[in-house]
Amino acid sequence: MVVLENVVRIYRTRRGDVKALDDISFQIKKGEFAVLCGPSGSGKTTLLMTVAGMLHPTNGVVSVGQNNLYAMSARARAKFRAENIGFVFQMFHLIPYLNIIENVTLAGGTAVDKNKKAQANELIQHFGLAGRNYHRPAELSAGEKQRVAISRALLNRPKIVLADEPTGNLDPDNAATVLGYLSEFHHKGGTVIFATHGKEAEQLADHIIYLRNGRIENHT
Amino acid sequence: MSILSLIYKEIIHRKFNFLLGLLAVVTAVALFVSFATTGQAYRRETRRIMRNMGQNLRIIPKETPIDKFWSVGFSEHTMPEEYVHRFAELRGFSYTHLTATLQKRVMWRGMNIILTGILPEVLPLDKRHQSPMTFSVEPGTVYVGFELARSLEIKKDNVIDIFDKPFTVVKCLSETGSSDDIRIYGHLHDIQGILNLPGRINEIKALECLCLIEATKTKFDPRILAQKELAQILPEAKVLLLQGIAEIRQKQRAAMEGYLALILPLTVVVCGVWIGVLVMMNVRDRQQEIGIMRAIGYGSGNITFLFLGKAVIAGLLGAMLGFLIGTALALDLGPEIFKVTAKAIRPQYALLVWSIIVAPVFAAVSSFIPAMIAVTYDPAVTLREE
Repeated sequence: MVVLENVVRIYRTRRGDVKALDDISFQIKKGEFAVLCGPSGSGKTTLLMTVAGMLHPTNGVVSVGQNNLYAMSARARAKFRAENIGFVFQMFHLIPYLNIIENVTLAGGTAVDKNKKAQANELIQHFGLAGRNYHRPAELSAGEKQRVAISRALLNRPKIVLADEPTGNLDPDNAATVLGYLSEFHHKGGTVIFATHGKEAEQLADHIIYLRNGRIENHT
Repeated sequence: MSILSLIYKEIIHRKFNFLLGLLAVVTAVALFVSFATTGQAYRRETRRIMRNMGQNLRIIPKETPIDKFWSVGFSEHTMPEEYVHRFAELRGFSYTHLTATLQKRVMWRGMNIILTGILPEVLPLDKRHQSPMTFSVEPGTVYVGFELARSLEIKKDNVIDIFDKPFTVVKCLSETGSSDDIRIYGHLHDIQGILNLPGRINEIKALECLCLIEATKTKFDPRILAQKELAQILPEAKVLLLQGIAEIRQKQRAAMEGYLALILPLTVVVCGVWIGVLVMMNVRDRQQEIGIMRAIGYGSGNITFLFLGKAVIAGLLGAMLGFLIGTALALDLGPEIFKVTAKAIRPQYALLVWSIIVAPVFAAVSSFIPAMIAVTYDPAVTLREE
């Protein structure tokens, strides 16, 4: 389902070019749980952004489903992303002036949709945040923030969830909870690509891809 | 969630940034409105001051030798009184406040005086609403110059004989330090009777507003232009334009227009930059927010609308507040500054409509570059930052 062929991404800086991804090729089938491992600066986040259609590769092809992402227009790519891909970040990236329900429904787009609100409520309850709908992110713990971020990522019933070190800022209990939710999504048939520099997700993985200096060092 | 709702919530969250932006719009609109509201009074006041410098166009009989005219102070020749009416009936000319006079130096009660007949001011057909700038004298009455009144002990309400005709003194004039101090002013027709010159005058004074010069933007001598125009309608007359007064008038007008032309654009530019900087700060504060919105599928149009929509809201609110403040300032301070024409200062509601149209556009234009920068932020970079 997710196919990368010879993907290269070069950042041009004042001090010269930096090759963040160097000839990356792999394939992740629908419903698989893939873990991207590697130290900081190995290219994990760049790879996730490229798979998400947010970072044009310098070379190579990125396909999701049967769609060559970078052959699409920017608008079509944004629509595709909204409908098919959910994001979870290490820093949560919740909007500080929106309450929980608003942060979750933000993923539903600008149209007012009662179904989305009902769905958001279900997700919030499911992730153990019932009664916190009108709290702002500043009033939540790190674990709660990440559960809101997962709710937001799942609102549009995406086919793929891209998680960029989602447990990096959490204590072990909360990290386990988040992993549990992602595992649940995976067991319902969703595809997960989980970037981490730790080993916490390895037991869930169908694939483990080790990255170093932008290259695949190992793929098991 | 609608974009408007997002804009509203962000405004509430970052009140200070929004209030500063609003203040910029309010300042620009209030200054514009207060200038425009007092502008009418300002122009009238300037015109009044300029007008008080006296008439600057003198039309005298064609055969008058100029050296004699300047040495005596008036023409010793005459022309038909009907000229002043012919002149006044013309449309489309910039002359106004036409005063026909007949002056003659005579000996009276042992003094060398200037007997001056003056016709009530004639205004051109298209300028009948203007108030006269010179005094007029009723038939059977006279105004007596300061020196004559003092030397001959003439007082108000005295009846004096001028060449066997009785006249009531209605006013003894204050000292001017000019030949006016030895004048007796009467109604033109009375003086024509005394001097046995019925239907004759020896000068028409007028005010040339120099609209002609401004309209044509020529570098020609305005006197030549005036002479050209008048030669066709007043063949027995010639025109003298008092350049000094004319130039002061023109310079004053140019200075006034130049002042407004500098202040208003400067204010608009400063406020525009102010708004632009604030929006840029807002964009920088919201980099990650923009990144996450891009990540969950919001397109460039939505991101642009977030910033321009906020600017339009600031523009609308700023227009209304700015109009209220600008009008209040004009109504409060205007009459103190423009005492003579204070009544001309009134709220101009058309400016509210203009402000409501222009201010949001102005705020949106000022925010456009930062909004475009927001759109081009690379979410891959902003979301990676911790």
